[in-house]
Amino acid sequence: MSRLAEALRTRRLLITAGSGGVGKTTTAAALGVEAARMGRRVAVLTIDPARRLAQAIGLEALTGELRRVEPALFAAAGLEAPGELWAMMLDTKTTGDQMVRRFAPNPQMARRILDNTYYKYFSTSLSGAQEYMAIEQVRALVEEGGFDLVILDTPPAVHAMDFLEAPDRMLDALDSSAIQVLVKSQQVSDNLAGRLIGKGRGLVLRSLDRMTGGPFLEDLGEFLAVFATILDALKHASERLKALLRADDSRFCLVTSPKRSNVDEAMHFQAELAERGFNFEGFIVNRVHMHYPDTGTGPEHDGHLLGELAGLLPELTDGERGALLQGMRRAFSAHNNMADRDGRAIEHLAGAAGEAPVRVPLMPLDVRDLAALHRVGRWLLKA
Amino acid sequence: MPDSPADCASPADWPFLDRRFVLVTGKGGVGKSTVTALLARLYAQAGKRTLVCELNTQERIPGLFGHDDVGGTVTPIAENLWSVNIDPAQAMEEYGVMKLRFRALYRVVFNNPLVQRLVRFVPGMNDLLMFGKAFNHERETDSAGRPAWDAIIVDAPATGHGISFFRLPRIIRDAVPAGNLHREAEEMWSLMSDPARTVVHLVTLPEELPVRETQELHQRLRHELGVPLGSLFLNMWPPPALDAAQQAHFERLTARPTDPALALLWATTRIRLGREHLASHYLQELEALGLPLVKLPTLYTTDFGPAEVDALARTACTQEPPP
Repeated sequence: MSRLAEALRTRRLLITAGSGGVGKTTTAAALGVEAARMGRRVAVLTIDPARRLAQAIGLEALTGELRRVEPALFAAAGLEAPGELWAMMLDTKTTGDQMVRRFAPNPQMARRILDNTYYKYFSTSLSGAQEYMAIEQVRALVEEGGFDLVILDTPPAVHAMDFLEAPDRMLDALDSSAIQVLVKSQQVSDNLAGRLIGKGRGLVLRSLDRMTGGPFLEDLGEFLAVFATILDALKHASERLKALLRADDSRFCLVTSPKRSNVDEAMHFQAELAERGFNFEGFIVNRVHMHYPDTGTGPEHDGHLLGELAGLLPELTDGERGALLQGMRRAFSAHNNMADRDGRAIEHLAGAAGEAPVRVPLMPLDVRDLAALHRVGRWLLKA
Repeated sequence: MPDSPADCASPADWPFLDRRFVLVTGKGGVGKSTVTALLARLYAQAGKRTLVCELNTQERIPGLFGHDDVGGTVTPIAENLWSVNIDPAQAMEEYGVMKLRFRALYRVVFNNPLVQRLVRFVPGMNDLLMFGKAFNHERETDSAGRPAWDAIIVDAPATGHGISFFRLPRIIRDAVPAGNLHREAEEMWSLMSDPARTVVHLVTLPEELPVRETQELHQRLRHELGVPLGSLFLNMWPPPALDAAQQAHFERLTARPTDPALALLWATTRIRLGREHLASHYLQELEALGLPLVKLPTLYTTDFGPAEVDALARTACTQEPPP
């Protein structure tokens, strides 16, 4: 059995990560399809803000809710799936609001948070916010969702590290006594301005204020103060997720294209994962121009090849068959040029990884349904 | 495609040469860096003093000009062309020193571990700092008081984060009602939305998901934000391997030939025609956006470096000018 097949059978959390545009989401979805075919109850979770997973698995509106991929879709694709495939896209706004409602001590406080100007920007507009918002949902799904396997699709590489570090960053910031000070003064007097801008505050806060100007710090303080009411719950979720991501049955699959720049990024990413104590499953290279042997294809074999063509296309003239053969040969050598380029990058990757990566070939059609995902899946699990 | 620079229309014909602030965006992996490099090539060849900004990333641009990575220092990499990889921490220090006037004071404030934690926690902070730095290059002047750069080309973040990135100045402007930050954000937004100074180019691939995202990005940039859009670059366009007659003849071969050698030729041609077919389908969808389209052909070369950037720059400047 291939390594990835084994992982689908035994792991509880698989995380697909890599640069943008290398097919992470497709890979995550294809792994999900294969896991369901093995009989597992699997959930695929995508955090990428772009809504792309939906199209590939037939869920037109993939929202913040967990939805099951209809068994009929498997049947229509001619696939048997004794397990279940579920999918969800993390929607920052919905996720954040749910979290606030769930953790706030009372509905009044929940409303106050939801109405805070900064919270609104924080949850809907700012890059980076979704990482925090995702923490509780990912944790809940893995720990309480009742799934055999969760496949987590992450944002592109630079930001994937942001995502993985979000629990740490969150814990770090929440432990920060500066924030505790801001928050506590707010809770006591409900007037941060008085505390913060008043006399006697430190050089540090005065200088920060000089840089930002205006009431920025006061407003931030108000935001943190209301947010603080849900911090304990969030802190707990952060700690759990941090442990889950590093658990023994959690594994990272690094996805890349065969472009050298993507391969370099994937290798860099693997080093970062190792440094931070995450478990690595393997590299997956998508859209590879597989090398075709050129035996018997050169112009010196024209006599033979034209003879074969004449058998297949007797209605064409010699000239037409000659032109067709030339065109096909042009496509063939262009393809093999790309295959050489891809092959060098993959060799480089294999050399560094100490094992050959999983390769998925470039396909003549887009991946847009379960049948196509299964075609990808077969390559992923190829021993 | 022309074989030498002499065959090509002058880079001076590139229609957006008068825009000083050039942003390149699109989904990750579609070739933003390639387009950034070819635009840099066009501006530099047209005699413009050009600065390329990459944003805290694995550097691509210097390598595409046969140069080593340059890091956070503005470094010349070719004639008329400089490059920098903006580092948010360094950008923050520069901004802090500018506002606080003393480096020592900056150190006291920002080496404070509590402040560092706070800054790391605030989402959007890195984007704001990097964008702010690119923005400051636009305002930079030389000793005679003239603008230091004729063009600043920014390889902007990938789509998902891209839209947040473009919205950032407006978010800050609206969220911070007064003061330095508000003023800075206001100025950034007026630059970003000014069609006399700024142009935003989109990059995509002739494939389903990149095209969907481009449609969405276009919708949001044009209608939600109203930033001045330039060209739509369609990267990795597969040039036709067969002419119309050859293609019609090829399609009569409906099954894989039994002869092994002919089967090899058939299989690769089939992949290629499949990709071409998909590409022309997506081309039609993209044409509906009404942006001037620049098709960048797939170069079936075994390497991709300065020569390939040159070839693509020539293709870009010989295509139909936008309406």
